[in-house]
Amino acid sequence: MTTATPERPKFTIKEPKNLSPRIKWLRDYYFQGVKRRWNNEFTAWTTGTPWDFQYQEGQYYIVPETYTFFSTFTGAFKQTARRVKLHPDFWKWSLPERHAWFVKEVMVNYLPHEILPGDLIAGARFNLQASTCLNKKEAKQYRKMVYGKHGARAAILWFHNHGYGNVGATSGHIIPDYARVIEKGWKDIYADISEHYEALPPGEKKGKKGAQLRAMLTAATMAKEVATKYSQVCADLAARESDTARKDELLQMAKMLNRVPWEPATTFWEGVQSLWLTHMLVMSDESYPGPGLSFGRIDQYLYPLWQKSIGEEMSREFGKEILKCFWIHANTAYDAMIRTGGNQGITSGFGQVVTLSGMGPDGKDMTNDLTYAILEVIDEMTPILEPKPNIRLHRNTPDQLYDRIIDMISSSQGAPFLLNFDERSIAGMMLEAKKAGVEHLINENNVYDYAPVGCLENTMCGNDRSGTVDINLNLLKAVELALTGGYDLIPYTDPMTGKTEPPKRYGPNTGNAQDFKTWEEFWNAYVRQTKYIIERIARLYERTDEIRARFLPTPYLSCLVRGCAEKGKDINEGGAELNFTTLEAVTYATTVDSLLAVKYLVFDKKVCTMKELIDALKANWVGHEVLQARAANKAPKYGRDDDTADELGKKVMELWTEETWKYRSRPTGKQFRPGMLSWNYWISDGYILPASPDGRPKGKFLSNAICPSNGADINGPTANVNSVGKVIGGKDPGGNGHWQEYCNLLPNGASHTMTFNPSLIRDPEHKNKFKSFLRSYVENGGSCLQINMVNADILRDAQKHPEDYRHLLVRVTGYNAYFTAIGRELQNEIIARESHQI
Amino acid sequence: MSHVKTITKDTSPIQTQQAPSGMIVHLQRFSTEDGPGIRTTVFFKGCPLRCLWCHNPESIATGPQIQWLENKCIGCGTCIKTCQLGCLTKSEQGIVIDRKVCTNCGDCAETCPANAMELLGKRVSVDELLDELTKDQTYYEKSGGGVTLSGGEPMMQPDFAAALLSRLKEKGINTALDTCGVCSTKALEEVLPHTDIVLFDLKEADPEKHYNFTGHDNQKVFDNLFHVRDYILNQAPQKMLWIRTPLIPEATATSENILSLGMFIANNLKGVVQRWELCAFNNLCRDKYRRLGIAWQYDNTPLMTRAAIQELEQCAKLSGVDPRIVIATGATRITD
Repeated sequence: MTTATPERPKFTIKEPKNLSPRIKWLRDYYFQGVKRRWNNEFTAWTTGTPWDFQYQEGQYYIVPETYTFFSTFTGAFKQTARRVKLHPDFWKWSLPERHAWFVKEVMVNYLPHEILPGDLIAGARFNLQASTCLNKKEAKQYRKMVYGKHGARAAILWFHNHGYGNVGATSGHIIPDYARVIEKGWKDIYADISEHYEALPPGEKKGKKGAQLRAMLTAATMAKEVATKYSQVCADLAARESDTARKDELLQMAKMLNRVPWEPATTFWEGVQSLWLTHMLVMSDESYPGPGLSFGRIDQYLYPLWQKSIGEEMSREFGKEILKCFWIHANTAYDAMIRTGGNQGITSGFGQVVTLSGMGPDGKDMTNDLTYAILEVIDEMTPILEPKPNIRLHRNTPDQLYDRIIDMISSSQGAPFLLNFDERSIAGMMLEAKKAGVEHLINENNVYDYAPVGCLENTMCGNDRSGTVDINLNLLKAVELALTGGYDLIPYTDPMTGKTEPPKRYGPNTGNAQDFKTWEEFWNAYVRQTKYIIERIARLYERTDEIRARFLPTPYLSCLVRGCAEKGKDINEGGAELNFTTLEAVTYATTVDSLLAVKYLVFDKKVCTMKELIDALKANWVGHEVLQARAANKAPKYGRDDDTADELGKKVMELWTEETWKYRSRPTGKQFRPGMLSWNYWISDGYILPASPDGRPKGKFLSNAICPSNGADINGPTANVNSVGKVIGGKDPGGNGHWQEYCNLLPNGASHTMTFNPSLIRDPEHKNKFKSFLRSYVENGGSCLQINMVNADILRDAQKHPEDYRHLLVRVTGYNAYFTAIGRELQNEIIARESHQI
Repeated sequence: MSHVKTITKDTSPIQTQQAPSGMIVHLQRFSTEDGPGIRTTVFFKGCPLRCLWCHNPESIATGPQIQWLENKCIGCGTCIKTCQLGCLTKSEQGIVIDRKVCTNCGDCAETCPANAMELLGKRVSVDELLDELTKDQTYYEKSGGGVTLSGGEPMMQPDFAAALLSRLKEKGINTALDTCGVCSTKALEEVLPHTDIVLFDLKEADPEKHYNFTGHDNQKVFDNLFHVRDYILNQAPQKMLWIRTPLIPEATATSENILSLGMFIANNLKGVVQRWELCAFNNLCRDKYRRLGIAWQYDNTPLMTRAAIQELEQCAKLSGVDPRIVIATGATRITD
């Protein structure tokens, strides 16, 4: 999942440029959305049994907005599902074999194979709601585990409604071993699986392992058979084509598709074709379109072919043309729900991330001509959402790349990419290796080949599933429970029945906070409640993890992840070599600020008693406005480069991350690891969690990922960055960090968003200053940064909610002002000017 | 001024002879407009000039001043109850400060729960300030930036300025002094050795006009500028000098003034000055005047047009100064 992007106002929309007629047509056609004759919306397929179903609601447990639609979606897909004629032995096979055969059958023999006009890449329809292929007994067990009184669905609703967060074993969010397919072809994977199968002792061949490997063998020829179909389509189109240039392209495509992705790619075009077909079929296999399914270091593994083809007959422009077609294809993932929602199904929530640039061995920079070509493609295609680029920066990133990046930022409101920071990220991966005892898989000799999935969630490539969106915990819940000794501060009222729960102690009895004499007593209560919420979420996760492991295999994806063939285990059963799941902490700054406020108000300054504070929170601050103002304005906050406040922030970070490492999901052996993504829960859960001691009323946003609370970072961007760098782990000046001097408690990484005024990069001199800021971020900051260049809409919002924008500087020569500190009339003038400039 | 305010209120500053203290208004981190690179700007309190257009009126008086921030106020009246002199009242326009009675003690700012009462001006020690100023050392190093002393007029507190700058130099931090040029030459001599860059204001060439605009004639300004020039030429050729000229409508923003200043720079500062910045008038400080209860004659003056600024930039470039060093900055009128 990626961080939600607010809709951009009209005047800021950047226009695409330098598009050939072919690409312009494809792009314009794509944006016609529902008006298109062709699209890639979900098609549902059934085995024809009365108990069959397609929709896997567990994939969406992490999207609370969808909870109320589960039954509708399940019913709708079931009703529209077309029956597939089953193989006579179908019901004799194991579940993974049934799944592998069924998905392949649909993709090869049922779903149409089409080439859009001018398209250089084959592989159009892939969004499936395939049958889960369960037999009657399995379906019954599944239903009990999901819908039963003590089923996963009810447990997850309870968890969400009580403000803890959400969990769900979610698909995508992985970088399959695409590099291997391109370099060695599917035939290499097939041979490898065969070898493992043949090596099994006869007993195991008949057992679970044998079934899994047979399923993977079936799946391993899917791409080849689909490619053959497309080859025929290209040949047929070529026969009817009158334009000789296009005819030639189609003939070449027909030829290529007879080779790749089964054989190794020999040209850049073949490489991209092989990559796309292989990638799209993962989405078919999982019945899950796009989210987080990422490409990894595309400018590295495609570079040898790029170099080779450029050296032969391919022009650089044609290479970019191939990439642009690939870009269009990635966007068709959004077609899945094209008729649902206000924006033709196009949301920002997908995130087939491509990684660009970054460090190689010995700190060497790996930027190459393909890196720049891809940046050109992005610049020329933008605005377009997929695939999302994440550019890796490090100490040796060349000036040329920075200049290019900053030019691209300056021509758009927000950067059209994320920036990942290698040294910090690598430190996190090295910590993970140590904590999980996988130093043979992540070490100094390969850690530089890490790449993010989804947005910024760092993983290794081709052998790592880290469940980076699966577990989302509101740390703030522990503050609430510490205040009440384990009760909900405000008992939950069911909006449907209007019934309020009787008070019940859920967390440990940490005592009556009103009797605490010292801050340490309160802190200790918080520690115990934190341990409780982490244990609770870990145990809840196991239930969805078990359902997926038992009933929802993905043998095709398993072929593409090292470890599955060796272990004879599906990826969903924990087959990946690196078998993790990530606890993504939400509400971090709100939690730290709340703890700081309790310490300041009740213990240090004795502004109020604990009872007064709790009463105020129960009343949502109504009638306690002066106390609320003191909490918001007088208590210290994280994000100001205040060493004392940030020290508590670090302590909070150490506590919850250390606790997270203690858990493994028992059904799959997945090791828990910490991260801070937050997706958009910090907005919606603000309506669930009660008022917090930092002065926040119920209904107001919580803090986003590792960012300071809205408006708290009053000392400007450098202070904000320094605080983030300190709490994520800081540095060890002696060089004894997790990697060199860098420490990072969050191997997954943390989302950090900053907003700047466009005037900051108005001319070359100021662009250079901004470049230095980014180079400093490498030293002092976190693992990933998203940049927004402020627009008039944000300024208007700042007028409405000045408390959220106290950090927003309006910069004019010789004079700097905080936007919210100047009068309304002048604010309007600046807004008008901002709109004018952009 | 019996009440001493410091940045970190919980720790009383240790003031020793080695570490003098000074009165500052504000610390601006990530400053990109006050010299090369990314800088932290320290705004000193107190200024010898009374420029009619002053953008930082809160930095003119040497002592602390209280102000009320309307958009932060929650109307709780805590400040009124706190004030022992009874100089605060609530009116339809909000909190009114009787400045004839108010001693700027800061008690109301201390108790205001919303930080709507703000005390401008804090006494800080060099050590305290250094702790803050070194926090961004990475940014200074990566950008060729550093620390700029501005104000107000840093040269009104020369001992403090010199002590601060020398300690920054010890830490290898690049330093800049932003000065209006009105100060004793001796004070300048004390500070210059610790300054890498001098940002020197030249506002108006005509002495009488300079007097009318700022309350001082420009003789001292030129004398001190010559002193800086000679110092750089004779003793410290690696130091940099930037000239800054505010473009103020119906005051300094005349082609005559810009041409005169340009000729002066061309004739006297050749080879020493690296940049001449023309800083366009800005009216964003309107609210600051209102909050401080000071009438401002530029209250209704609009921003300059782009054409007007470009014309003056052309004058500057044709004045004999190396045109490459002329840079015009600042916002222009939208209707332009």
